[in-house]
Amino acid sequence: MKRFIADIKKYYKYAVYSAKAELKSEVASSYLSWLWWILDPLLFMMVYAFVSAVVFNASEKYFLAFVFVGISCWDFFNRTVKQSVKLVSANSHIVSKVYLPKFILIFVKIGNNGFKMLISFALVVGMMCLYRVPLSWNMLYFFPIMVVLILVTFAFSVWLLHFGVFVEDLSNLINAFLRLVFYLSGIFYSISSRVPEPYQSLLLMFNPVALIMEDLRRTCLYGELPHRKILLAWAVVGIVLSVLGIRTIYKSENSYVKVI
Amino acid sequence: MENYAIEVKDLKIRYKTIQKMSIKKSLLSLKKSKVDIFEAVKGVSFQVKQGEIIGITGKNGSGKSTLLRAVAGIFAADEGSIDLHGHTVSLLSIGVGFQKKLTGRENVYLSGMLLGFSEEQIQQHMKEIIEFSELGSFIDKPVRTYSSGMYSKLAFSITAILETEIMLIDEVLSVGDSKFKKKSYKKMKQLISNCNRTVIIVSHSSDTLRQLCSRVIWLHDGLIKMDGTPDEVLPQYEEFMS
Repeated sequence: MKRFIADIKKYYKYAVYSAKAELKSEVASSYLSWLWWILDPLLFMMVYAFVSAVVFNASEKYFLAFVFVGISCWDFFNRTVKQSVKLVSANSHIVSKVYLPKFILIFVKIGNNGFKMLISFALVVGMMCLYRVPLSWNMLYFFPIMVVLILVTFAFSVWLLHFGVFVEDLSNLINAFLRLVFYLSGIFYSISSRVPEPYQSLLLMFNPVALIMEDLRRTCLYGELPHRKILLAWAVVGIVLSVLGIRTIYKSENSYVKVI
Repeated sequence: MENYAIEVKDLKIRYKTIQKMSIKKSLLSLKKSKVDIFEAVKGVSFQVKQGEIIGITGKNGSGKSTLLRAVAGIFAADEGSIDLHGHTVSLLSIGVGFQKKLTGRENVYLSGMLLGFSEEQIQQHMKEIIEFSELGSFIDKPVRTYSSGMYSKLAFSITAILETEIMLIDEVLSVGDSKFKKKSYKKMKQLISNCNRTVIIVSHSSDTLRQLCSRVIWLHDGLIKMDGTPDEVLPQYEEFMS
């Protein structure tokens, strides 16, 4: 644990700079450059909004903002988790040249994807203004919920980073699994009003992404209280998984280079 | 009591051939997963004094690069120990890891930070690095537009100018045109005169080793075959190889 903190101090700046540089390089060569950070979620929102509003006839209050909250969270979780499976081999040029605590690479991704999420949440705020969503103190729950989201994402990523080194086709499996989670997370429908009862609680309890989305919408859009107990439980799970995962990485990260 | 910068004791490094497995394979062969063990370094011990320039030579596959990577901290020793006495270390080898889409300047920052320097320190040395690497205006162009020579020149300049206390060099002095080669030799010589800097050079070229090193270690099949001054070791090595 001490080592973890020391390493974070030592490599924190690298992670920040690297995340920034990555963001820059992603847009440097494209025509519309940073506009993509806004366009990307916006376009997807339009697709989902069309499918759910026109095809499935869904109608939630503040529908566009509703969908957008879902997409922002989902993109963050999905991208970070997906990338971490291949993270070590994707960075083999660094990993085989210099020692770097491997979870720092996850921080880089979290920084990168987190920044994009921030932009899409800024768009959500804009929409909320347009919809004239009434303000409420419960909106402050946004911050603890975000913490839970980052914790849970980090916890999953650490383990996938570890196994992704040794199991070559893990990414195929994860992609399929993430697709399933995508449909079970209620990105463009509301779990609490559309899914019948035993499944509803089960989904909200065991699918952290669904829970976080649902609670973000409750607190920020509708001014209600989140599922505080389950959120807290997931925060604890996230911390425990992260600690165990970081230990495993420390123990075996030296053999990563020998495998790739 | 000598002042050692690097102490390596009975170092053994094994590559367990834990090859990447597919899920199907690991399900089918859960129990009989035989592990092939290949020992690349089989018990090597040596000490390097502070300020010494050491050459390591040997034929392909004799464990030179593995040894170097272990000293750099990329591999853990399977047995034995490596003690750097808290010195900072950097490994320089062909095709150093740059991010191709980023500019040279950004890559200097990233590499420098990975070596443990602060942003300000790198900023101070930036001009020197650009000058030494002879890149000129290319420093602000993406690295993917570089020629291979420019690539290695930049890599060399970073490690040469951002001074870590221990510098490990893997077959890199043969890069660049002859003018840059001369310059990097000169820089190396200059580094030698700085008696705090410890350097390990891996090379096949006897000339390089003779010019730069004060001591040469000859590795053969993961073991030290000879250890001595260049004049003792190199003639025998050349004879062995011919």
